[in-house]
Amino acid sequence: MIVEIKDLKKVYAGRTVVNIPELRINEGETIGLVGNNGAGKTTLFRMLLDLIRPDAGGIFSKNENVASTDEWKNYTASFLDENFLIDYLTPEEYFIFIGSLHNMTRTDVEQYLQRYLEFFNGEILNSGKYIRDFSKGNQNKVGIAAALMQNPELLILDEPFANLDPTTQIRLKSLVRSLRTTHQATTIISSHDLNHVTDVCDRIILLEKGQVIKDIQTTENTLMELEAYFSA
Amino acid sequence: MLNTFLGHQWKGFFRARGKGTSIAVQIIMGLLIVYLLGCALVFGIFMDNLIQHFMPGRPVMEVFNGLILYYFALEFLSRMQIQELPTLAIVPYLHLRIPKRKLVNFLNIRALFSAFNIFPLVLFFPFIFMNVMESYGSFAGWMYLLAVVSLSVFNNYLALYVKRLSISNTRFVIAGFLVLIGLGLLEYFKVFSIAAVSNQVFSAIAQQPLIALVFTLGAVAVFVLNASYLRKNLYMEELHAGEARKTSTDYPFLDRFGAAGQLAALEIKLILRNKRSKSTVSKGLIFIFYGLLFYKQKELDENSFGMMLFAAVFMTGNMVLLYGQFMFGWQSSEFDGLLSNKVSVRNFIKAKLLLFNIASTVLTLVVSLYGLISWKILAVQFAAYFFSLGIAPILVMYMATFNYKAIDMTSGSSFNWQGVGATSMLMSLPIFLLPYLFYLPAKMIGGPFWGLAALGIVGLIGFLTQSFWVEVLVKAFNKRKYKIAEGFREK
Repeated sequence: MIVEIKDLKKVYAGRTVVNIPELRINEGETIGLVGNNGAGKTTLFRMLLDLIRPDAGGIFSKNENVASTDEWKNYTASFLDENFLIDYLTPEEYFIFIGSLHNMTRTDVEQYLQRYLEFFNGEILNSGKYIRDFSKGNQNKVGIAAALMQNPELLILDEPFANLDPTTQIRLKSLVRSLRTTHQATTIISSHDLNHVTDVCDRIILLEKGQVIKDIQTTENTLMELEAYFSA
Repeated sequence: MLNTFLGHQWKGFFRARGKGTSIAVQIIMGLLIVYLLGCALVFGIFMDNLIQHFMPGRPVMEVFNGLILYYFALEFLSRMQIQELPTLAIVPYLHLRIPKRKLVNFLNIRALFSAFNIFPLVLFFPFIFMNVMESYGSFAGWMYLLAVVSLSVFNNYLALYVKRLSISNTRFVIAGFLVLIGLGLLEYFKVFSIAAVSNQVFSAIAQQPLIALVFTLGAVAVFVLNASYLRKNLYMEELHAGEARKTSTDYPFLDRFGAAGQLAALEIKLILRNKRSKSTVSKGLIFIFYGLLFYKQKELDENSFGMMLFAAVFMTGNMVLLYGQFMFGWQSSEFDGLLSNKVSVRNFIKAKLLLFNIASTVLTLVVSLYGLISWKILAVQFAAYFFSLGIAPILVMYMATFNYKAIDMTSGSSFNWQGVGATSMLMSLPIFLLPYLFYLPAKMIGGPFWGLAALGIVGLIGFLTQSFWVEVLVKAFNKRKYKIAEGFREK
């Protein structure tokens, strides 16, 4: 078990946005987090990354409360939104900076990026632009690639498929799959695209108003089950 | 149609986001402009007395005429730096059923709404009314005024035109200032005199008022040039100033400081690559001339260092003050990323102290040139330097943990009150007052030099115990980081 959530609660202005009594996530699982806007997906992610303080309970990563140590930063990589990018850097500078946090040298980073040339589709590297001048889709690519580069045991992506072109969406799915097969990484992805999550995830967690109302292993019926829920 | 556009602009101004909190600031801004206009008016009314006072024995008219071209040269450079291109305003209308001609007209008229266009009127009108009309008749006076207004309009559109064409207007402005200083020197050494040219031109207007129409023609020509350029280039991407290719840079000398050095390098890039931070810091450089105002021979002779200390603290620590004031808001747009990545808070804090220390050191070395006036200045400045090194940054960083306002990095810093909160306003106060807390008591006991020594020693102790203060700051930061991050998310 890599992540454990205990009695987690977050309240904004009297409204409970996250309320999860218990949730366990095991090593090597690929988890899809689904739910309509306001279901609490991003809030949960932010608490998982110690960006907001829970009102009650806590999230434990490898049995350590994320709010009390920085240990989890060594093996966790994440990309939630553009606020995770340093927008006045060129993509190369950003990758080298992130790499340096994990003791990667410049050559390590350059070598690593070679593997993602296909993913970048020739638009990211040597573009002569700062990250802030890229389109949203390409900014997403930079953020996702930087997260993958850290070789994480735990990867957290918030709506990674949004703003990506179809080709890149498919490439991203195969990247996530290979992460699991190569080194048992745990991935948590939120998405509004039910096709993608049921395709790539082996466990789906459905949130509604901050509560887990479905927690299922993916089978061929899962997509229909989810569609039935969302069209109701 | 034009009224509709201006109406939208008006609404846009009054419905701007975050306006609720900044209404007081708007009022202060308004008062400031009124104050400046008032000053200009008083200056204008008493101009002939002032000229007689500062340039005794020279004919008033000659000096006045000589000043006009200098005024407009300076005004042009200031416009280049401060006046904004009113272009984004038309983007929502480009795809609608509105002829281009009207959009261009709107842009051109919108450009007239600038305080720059009022100042020359307030400044020159009283003098023209009282002196020129008196000596040369009212027709000549009106033509004078027409010439002044035309020059202002000419500058208005020329500045916008050059801004639209040129990629880097900062370089242009610096070059312009150098040329102006050069001309001033030539003037001083009587090699070549712009003032004489200016005087000749305007004396000619006094004799032959119709010559003023030449300026009007010039203004119309620039207006037409600007309008036709706009009509040809009314595309979103061409309305902005051109952009150069961006490259990656390194600051290898910071590598020796390890992870903190890397973060400091990151922050240097932040400063250089964002408009708001760049203009804040470069404005700080102007303050190194404070010494010229505050270092007076009389006070040096009397060893009364009180006011000099103020200037010295400001000059050696202006990066700490001006940049530190908005800490950590500069990084508001990537704050979540910094928190969730493997960046240790300790290094994050250390990087900022490192940056401040480097800046204070460089500034101190530069202002050490004042030492040529008197060695006492060096003593004052080094006491201030140790304060800026050991105490001021820690104080600023501590207060920064109470600042929850994000900074919008894309706009310039002149008259920009976005992200200015109570904390950032109050922040500078203790920095200015604290040196006296150490200086004054020691001065009472042992004299002014003991005062300086006390300040220097306290500063040095602060610097030598920096690692202790880093821990204090880390604690303060961790305590309030959720609140800071939350504040930065609501932009």
